Amino acid sequence: MTETVSPLQQILAGTRLILPLTIAVVPWGILVGAYGMESGLSALHTQLLSLSVFAGASQLVAIGMLESGASMVSILLTTLLITSRHFLYGLALRQDIQGLPVYWRAALGFLLTDELFVFRRTQQQRFCRWFLIGAGFSFYLGWNLATLAGILAGQYLPDLTALGLDFAVVAIFIALLVPILDNRSAWVCVLASAFMAVLTHLFQLPGGLLLSMLTGMGCGYLYSEYQRGKNG
Amino acid sequence: MMELLILGMTLIVFFSRYLFLEPRLPIQPGPRLLHFLSFSIPAVLAAVIAPMIFVQDQALMLDPMNPYLLGAIVAAVCMKQTGKTLLTVTLSLSAFMVYRFLLASG
Repeated sequence: MTETVSPLQQILAGTRLILPLTIAVVPWGILVGAYGMESGLSALHTQLLSLSVFAGASQLVAIGMLESGASMVSILLTTLLITSRHFLYGLALRQDIQGLPVYWRAALGFLLTDELFVFRRTQQQRFCRWFLIGAGFSFYLGWNLATLAGILAGQYLPDLTALGLDFAVVAIFIALLVPILDNRSAWVCVLASAFMAVLTHLFQLPGGLLLSMLTGMGCGYLYSEYQRGKNG
Repeated sequence: MMELLILGMTLIVFFSRYLFLEPRLPIQPGPRLLHFLSFSIPAVLAAVIAPMIFVQDQALMLDPMNPYLLGAIVAAVCMKQTGKTLLTVTLSLSAFMVYRFLLASG
């Protein structure tokens, strides 16, 4: 990207390059919309979750917990556990974003999903606020239109959630996972995290996601330290 | 009540995404912490999908007939071979749905 490229062109470039992820997330957005309707939320509240929270995993878990009658405090605590991974993303992008005006920081922060973070980290080009906001905002639009489609479809097709749209999450996350599994520590991390996640899920332990993440991160970290010690 | 919950979730999620973009924050994590945190991406991706693939109705599901497992294998192989995100998602989601349909009808 040269400096002669206008902001609009940057926005369009960001939109175009993130498009595969935007399209890939559509089935998941439809699921969130349909699941919200099925569990008895109003269409407005279901859409508001996508418009305002904009975090697929937190939205799905919150809807599930509401359905099972969980308290507001426990839902908020779970949201904090699930969303705690985003601290890292802000940390990793701190150098690029901390010097921007507050409204830019707030806008990019609001749009900082797993997908946008991985997208930014895999782009070779120099940081450009217009490019990133174009990518982030088009992804936001896609997510909300997919949610709306799910809300509308969920009213007519009550079995939509049984269709297996949740598999889209598995597919996207595997697509994000495969390129970073290029070393043994990452494999150790993934296997430990997956093992712990299955275990905590089987025993229905609360906070299983965070416990699994910390286990995986700890194992990956220790293994890489062990390897460095062996080599150095 | 629901509005309050949505507002609370919005604030928590935004806080987690914004905190380290704030220049006035004096905290600078050391290299060890950053290295530890670098594992959060593979860890979260695995922790979210592993139960979806291997647990159904609170029971372990290692059967190769499990459509989630089959779809996951299709996705991993396709991504490894082509490196194309959208193709991987489309192909594995289609394989998953067709296979599940065949299981249900056959």
